[in-house]
Amino acid sequence: MRVVIGEDEALLRRGLELVLGDGGFEVVATAADAVELERAVAEHRPRLVITDIRMPPSFTDEGLVAAARIRAGFPGTAVMVLSQHVQRRYAVELLSDRAGGVGYLLKQRIADVRTFVGDLREVATGGTAIDPDIVAVMLARARLADSAVGALTARQQEVLALMAEGRSNASIAARLFLTEKAVVQHTSRIYDALALPVDSDAHRRVLAVLQYLNAD
Amino acid sequence: MTQTGPAATALLRNTLQRVRAERSPLRRSLDRALLTILATGLGFTLLLLALLPLGGPETFALLLFPINLIVYLCAGLLAWFHRPSNRMGALILLAGGALFLSGAGNTEIPLFILLGTVAASLPLAVFIHLFLAFPSGTLTGRAAKMVVATAYATSILLQLPSYLLLANGAMPGLTIVHEPELAVLGEHMQSAVGGAALVATAAILLVRLRRATRSERRVLAPLYGYGVFAIVVILFSTRFFGAMLGWDGIAVAVLQLSVLAGVPIAFALAVLRGGVARTGELEELGAWLGAAGDEKPAIAVALARTLGDPSIEVWFWMPGHGAYVDVQGVEVTADVDAGRGLEVVELDGRRIGAISYDNALMVEPELARTAGRVVAIALDRERLTAELRSSRRDLQLSRERLVEAADAERRRIAQDLHDGLQVQLVLLALEAQQLGNGGGASLDERATALRMGIDAAATELRNLVHSVMPAALVQRGLSAAAEDLVDRMPIPTVLELDVADGDCPPVVESIAYFVVAEALANAVKYSQARSIAVRLHRQADDLHIEVLDDGIGGARPSAGAGLRGMAERIDVLGGSLAVASEPGRGTRIKVEVPCGS
Repeated sequence: MRVVIGEDEALLRRGLELVLGDGGFEVVATAADAVELERAVAEHRPRLVITDIRMPPSFTDEGLVAAARIRAGFPGTAVMVLSQHVQRRYAVELLSDRAGGVGYLLKQRIADVRTFVGDLREVATGGTAIDPDIVAVMLARARLADSAVGALTARQQEVLALMAEGRSNASIAARLFLTEKAVVQHTSRIYDALALPVDSDAHRRVLAVLQYLNAD
Repeated sequence: MTQTGPAATALLRNTLQRVRAERSPLRRSLDRALLTILATGLGFTLLLLALLPLGGPETFALLLFPINLIVYLCAGLLAWFHRPSNRMGALILLAGGALFLSGAGNTEIPLFILLGTVAASLPLAVFIHLFLAFPSGTLTGRAAKMVVATAYATSILLQLPSYLLLANGAMPGLTIVHEPELAVLGEHMQSAVGGAALVATAAILLVRLRRATRSERRVLAPLYGYGVFAIVVILFSTRFFGAMLGWDGIAVAVLQLSVLAGVPIAFALAVLRGGVARTGELEELGAWLGAAGDEKPAIAVALARTLGDPSIEVWFWMPGHGAYVDVQGVEVTADVDAGRGLEVVELDGRRIGAISYDNALMVEPELARTAGRVVAIALDRERLTAELRSSRRDLQLSRERLVEAADAERRRIAQDLHDGLQVQLVLLALEAQQLGNGGGASLDERATALRMGIDAAATELRNLVHSVMPAALVQRGLSAAAEDLVDRMPIPTVLELDVADGDCPPVVESIAYFVVAEALANAVKYSQARSIAVRLHRQADDLHIEVLDDGIGGARPSAGAGLRGMAERIDVLGGSLAVASEPGRGTRIKVEVPCGS
């Protein structure tokens, strides 16, 4: 699977290359700033782009701007955005045009290589990966604002959080030490409680849940 | 109209009474003094009238003495009354006095004849004094002072030979020796020195006339013209009309006295007309402005003296408060009540203060306006000095607190790193070392545990960095950062945003962010609130920040280091902080910071 990396810190760029190489990805190009990144994407048409939000020259959010442009210009290219600090607004912005093929994680998630590589594959195949930190913020917000979320059991809230992170039923089952059947039961009860349309498609499910959690 | 007539009259009467009642004590005292002078002057006039040997052929000429006296009295008092700070009124009265003395020589009382003899030439000296002292009433310049001194000396001392050395003079009782030749010599000397003084006076006046502006000349030229005419008539009328045209002595005396009566009227008119009088008064202000800083009396005193109104008050305009304060810094209401006038002083089109004056004393408000313009810069300087003095101390304290705050922040970061991260890293290093030594659990599990430990340390570092400078603030700006703060609140919090990122300079956004962060942290810790609202909006050039909760209230701005730190930061930017936190009624923190971009 062809990947382009946008990261201005040389050490981290090299580390990512190693992790990706070991994970079976083919890193076709690396870029140290957003302009270079977009040029590399246009040239190589990779399946996946991994980019830092904060990059030269202004060190603000050019990585995020580049990600949005790549998603708009190259529908076949999935984007994983990494950042030191995650915030809800960026997640909402990334998901606003279309769900799927997008991820937004804290940089330090790279250290858990197995999960990170799994998330990359999920995103590259049209899935979604949202950082647990943001999902926790979203859930806490929803619990305060919306009694339906607050009324869910602790287990159901755990399942809801993993659904929001973009996990499949199998993945949720493995994490919570449940059977897939039990997970399906939980998800259907959550759908009922939140009055969400039942959708077996995991990709669309993430979007529905995130839209629900971020409704004002 | 007929119906409103009585009402209008009553109103007028009331107003007049109020004006009278509100005159300053000093002004009323001046009025009484002038009345006393009037009464005394009239008394002397009556006395002169009674003592003059009327009934003879010179009756008409003699009657002119008391009439002249009344003219001088009225003209002098009028000038004094309307221009209390101008000495011309007093000088005109002095001239009247000199005239009285010279007139007294015409009576049959020995003492009065003596006085009249001694002061026979005094009026001329006083006239010179009047001309040279115009318009302010004080003599300016060495030449003028010397000429006036010479004139007085000539009129008194060089008059001595005419009665001391002549047995058949005006006062035979005073004669020491009869030396007619010496007496004639003295008379010539008096004529020569007096003439020289007159020529010098004419020269000084000519110079002044040339230096005067056009509007000043319009006042000066007729006055000086009349003065020359009067002196020429007095000096030469005896020789010309008497000797050459054959007028009798009485006719000449009538002419001289009539011309003399015009002198005070000319001066009083010139003083009251103001064109030159104003320069005379403003001259003083100019001298005050030029005085060295420390010797300078307060601006109000200088203005009071210049404008002749002891009740003058100077107010400074405080743009921040939209109100005037007096010199003590106490706020005053600018309502102009009856009897008090207010002249706003502006500098470069901005209001800097006002002069409050007694309407009754200020015959021409234009004068107050001109004076205001003259002192505007000084007034502004005095205002700034007062402001500066009070803010200097505040600034010093504020700077100390800022340094302390920065120091405290550094201590906190160092402490956090030392207590948290450093300990964690030591433990992680130990764990990594033991990884190679083997042991109970599988390598995989222990490596994962190590990874999770490092992850936790990284999280802690991230939180610390975020608390020092949040990523959202740097990357996007205030609204994104405030949103992130509110997102992470454990209490339902509403955010109302009416400000775009980058609307305000980064330093303003940064301080606004920390104000909100501090307020929210306090609300979580102490308020027991069930809901919080954060409002950020831009109004004109100010950024308004409002954080309110429905908690228990009772927050004291002075108590918490956090709130105090906030106040310092806001103060640095010239903003304001208001905390309303009555017990049981929630807390409302309102901040306004200039955002001017």
